Amino acid sequence: MLLSTLIVVLQEILEAALIISLLLVICRLRGASGRWVWPAAIAGAVGAALYASLIEEVSLLFDYTGQEITNAALQLGIYLCLAASALLMGCGTERRERLLRLTMTLAVSLAVVREGFEILLYQSGLMASPELVTPLLVGATLATGIGASIGALFYYGLLSVPAAPRRTLTLGLIALFGGNMLSQAALMLIQSDWLPGGAILWDSSALLPEDSLAGQLFYALVGYEATPSLTQAIAYFGGFTLLAGLAVAATRRGDNPFTQDHRP
Amino acid sequence: MKVPLLPRIAALAALIAAPLAIAAPPVVEIEIRDHLFFPSTVRVPARTKVKLVVINRDPTAEEFESYELNREKIIPGGATSVIFIGPLAPGEYPFFGEFFPKTAQGRVIAE
Repeated sequence: MLLSTLIVVLQEILEAALIISLLLVICRLRGASGRWVWPAAIAGAVGAALYASLIEEVSLLFDYTGQEITNAALQLGIYLCLAASALLMGCGTERRERLLRLTMTLAVSLAVVREGFEILLYQSGLMASPELVTPLLVGATLATGIGASIGALFYYGLLSVPAAPRRTLTLGLIALFGGNMLSQAALMLIQSDWLPGGAILWDSSALLPEDSLAGQLFYALVGYEATPSLTQAIAYFGGFTLLAGLAVAATRRGDNPFTQDHRP
Repeated sequence: MKVPLLPRIAALAALIAAPLAIAAPPVVEIEIRDHLFFPSTVRVPARTKVKLVVINRDPTAEEFESYELNREKIIPGGATSVIFIGPLAPGEYPFFGEFFPKTAQGRVIAE
């Protein structure tokens, strides 16, 4: 039980940990504060508890596909927040800074809602059995520790990259994360029959199984799928290209905090 | 010869809508009881979209998950849910309950 709890919780935490690290790296590089991350995480946790408590009602909506539609909306919301952040991050005015903090806060909150509600549902179902409480709590604590460590590793790893490639790398990773969000949203809409799936493009499950540790990590990082459908691929690459384009255009404008690099 | 615009639009709409309206996808039911899937082997027609109706009789939530089918959905305790799968190439597609992976195992066979 401990191990399966650890795996379930870690899977959910990884994605949120990665986006938090990426956005914090951007703040650090721009010489801005990252303290907004705490209220964002708390707001996300409250949202996750609300979503989990309403799950039965939500599941009934849209002909029993309310969960997919809600998740797709959350993922689309994360994407839009990242796109808005990419646009704003090249500017330095006080008003734009406040807006940027807001879009980043919202992106993290939505990510925590999306991942957190699954953890809560998993935990709440099992907590009813007294003998499971200890392994559940230990598993969840370990998973949180491992997830946070991977996030920290990622944060310091990115900061230790030399300045010029780091900028490209950070923006590239944000764009990949955005593409991943849109692709996951597309998958939810396919699952609820709102979008056609299209052909399966390839099968790399023999090369890199999705249930392997590397597969899971790649899933969290870049949305790895062993058997992606055409619709998902279009969403992924469309989302990636648009976000990368926005980020490049915004940071190209000469005198801006991101390119000045405030890292001490 | 000039054909009025409205009938032309209607004809075009009918042409586009016809294949969509052909038939509702076949429905297959799966029940979850005591963290097990019933039936654990589900046969579905290949190359056709299928509507899986998953009924969770347990009080605890379960997550229907399949890497091969590219599907993942939480089924709250005591709730009924719908998952669309396919169209699938003929073959076997394992699925499992992520919250109770040791017991909740099954497979979809598309033929």
